[in-house]
Amino acid sequence: MIELEEGIRKGLRIVPIVDKEIRQLVRDPKTILMVLLMPITVTILFGYGYGGKGAGKYPITVVNLDGGDGAFKFIQELRNSKMFQIKAIYKSKGQGFSSVYSGEVYASLIIPETFTEDLMRGRPTRVELYYDASNPTVAQMIMQAVGVVTQQFQEWAAARFGTFAITPMFYTVYGPEIKKIESFIPTLMAMILQMVPTSLISVSICREREKGTFEQFIMTPVSVFDIIFGKLAAYFLATISDAILSLFTAILLFDVKLKGTFLDMVIVSTVFLLNSLSLGLLISVFSRNQLQAYQASIFSFIIFMLFSGVFIPVDVLSSEAKLISSFVPMYYFVSAFRNVSLKGWDYLMVLDQLTVISMFTFAFLALSLRFLRMEVT
Amino acid sequence: MLKAQRLEEQPELAVEAKNLTKRFGKFVAVDHISLEIRRGENFGLLGPNGAGKTTTIRMITGVIKPSEGCVKVFGIDVAKERKKVLKYIGYMPQKFSLYEDLTVEENIRLYGRLQGLTGSLLKNRVKELLERFYLWEFRRRLAGKLSGGMKQRLALATALVHDPTLLILDEPTAGVDPPLRRKFWEHFRELNREGKTILVTTHYMDEAENCDRLALMNRGRIIAEGTPREIKRRALGGDLVEIVFEGDLDPAALPGVKSVMEDSSERYLLVVEDAGRDLPRIVKKAEELGAKILVASPMHVSLEEAFIRFMGESE
Repeated sequence: MIELEEGIRKGLRIVPIVDKEIRQLVRDPKTILMVLLMPITVTILFGYGYGGKGAGKYPITVVNLDGGDGAFKFIQELRNSKMFQIKAIYKSKGQGFSSVYSGEVYASLIIPETFTEDLMRGRPTRVELYYDASNPTVAQMIMQAVGVVTQQFQEWAAARFGTFAITPMFYTVYGPEIKKIESFIPTLMAMILQMVPTSLISVSICREREKGTFEQFIMTPVSVFDIIFGKLAAYFLATISDAILSLFTAILLFDVKLKGTFLDMVIVSTVFLLNSLSLGLLISVFSRNQLQAYQASIFSFIIFMLFSGVFIPVDVLSSEAKLISSFVPMYYFVSAFRNVSLKGWDYLMVLDQLTVISMFTFAFLALSLRFLRMEVT
Repeated sequence: MLKAQRLEEQPELAVEAKNLTKRFGKFVAVDHISLEIRRGENFGLLGPNGAGKTTTIRMITGVIKPSEGCVKVFGIDVAKERKKVLKYIGYMPQKFSLYEDLTVEENIRLYGRLQGLTGSLLKNRVKELLERFYLWEFRRRLAGKLSGGMKQRLALATALVHDPTLLILDEPTAGVDPPLRRKFWEHFRELNREGKTILVTTHYMDEAENCDRLALMNRGRIIAEGTPREIKRRALGGDLVEIVFEGDLDPAALPGVKSVMEDSSERYLLVVEDAGRDLPRIVKKAEELGAKILVASPMHVSLEEAFIRFMGESE
């Protein structure tokens, strides 16, 4: 066996590891389920759940307690703004509230009894907006739009009846969520690119420990570097399809119109995907078994969701929460992807966010390399 | 030529462990053991489950770090230069440790590649091993779908992929039925003849008879070491002989007799210094004393008996 001795190659062992990992991934029914089925299912659910029709308008109801010309003019202004689709005009507050509670509309605007009279006499007056606070992003946009309409109406009225103020008053009501799917694409992508890859790779090392294959594996001259980067490369190849699949599903099934180019969206997604995988590897390095790894993945996912700005805009959080957000890679991804997909920016314009995400990736990988023990326990 | 050089350069000892100790918390799994395994021998580590055999082996292969002591494999310190040592060691862990979702051939190929084999060298080696261990027709079967015996053969083939000089086998025949166990030991003897050093653990005493030398382990310590014959002699304090006679005779007074183990008035089991030397003397002396010897023969002592004696002493 002299030949054998001479034929042994030194150096990296990444390629055989990538080959092995991909074979294992392809044969694992869990992979098919998570990589292929889950993103599509989630996208479809989002599409049907949140893809409410309305041609860009937010459905609201109006409660007209005044009934005078001023009120009619105000309602006209709301219609003219093209921001709202007025589903109904009620005569009582109760009807208005229940339309929000039931989730039928995002908000109900109440015009008080003395509205026209106040206008004619040049007295300050108000309008009241009862909005669904369960969806802060949409609520903010409605508040803004109502503010704008009120402002315009006030200018018109001021010219006719003299100087006075119309104050929009905002009140919160909680109801079921209704959202437009475009604005949810960044959230959807963040979820799919975080949850699937992280949990999938997070069990990869500890499963080898649990099943005992690690003991045989480390009897070969593989290095920590080979294992970490071999697994990273294999799982990257397996999960990049995630991102592309979800985007296609959204675009084809729900007629999502995204302004960003496909390439820019893939670049931003790739940077974030590498981050999710690195985090998963780090979890795998520190987990004793597969259950622990799954738990850690889910736990980190929940934290990330809460502090990434997908539920509550980070601007409205407390300063402590903002500090946490600044350590959440998903926060930078959501912001970057929103700008690229919805505003049509190219990837160079979100380079700052991409750099921050990559710094986290680097840190996760460095820690994984540092703490992966080539031992059995 | 190359091989000859390599052999000369390498030291006489395949494995040299000094004061090897492993503690898990307060529990001492392996307690200051020292071992010397000579090049080319078939060395058995024998003991009941939980004696510390696997932990010892894992420290020798370097997959766990000793709490104390050090191990050298072919003179190379495992703690310091593990990577250098790996190419000399073929290891078969106690539990099946290959990928159950890869096929037989893929597993061997993977390990060949991880060991650095490429191209036709790799291809030929994989084929050779598949054929040698009767795995050729199952090469496309997933390892998880193999029977216990086939899994063990695959594990052995994989351990040999880089043609190691030291083969470390942890309970290779556990759970394998007796005819297959015998077949396995034939493989081991053959590998031994090819010049490979073998370190094997087992708790089957009958198998251990096949080893050149043995170390008996119990509760983390080595309680006896030597060839199977030496161990048995030491356990009894000599050889065992059986005599049956007619007449009046005190067996304890016969020449060379150290003790009387069994006394059933007619049949006696005697421990003597050396059966070959003492038996004829016993017969001669007994006849001189007027007794009629009906049976006088050396008795086979099983390792199990010896082991139980040693365990009794150590407790």
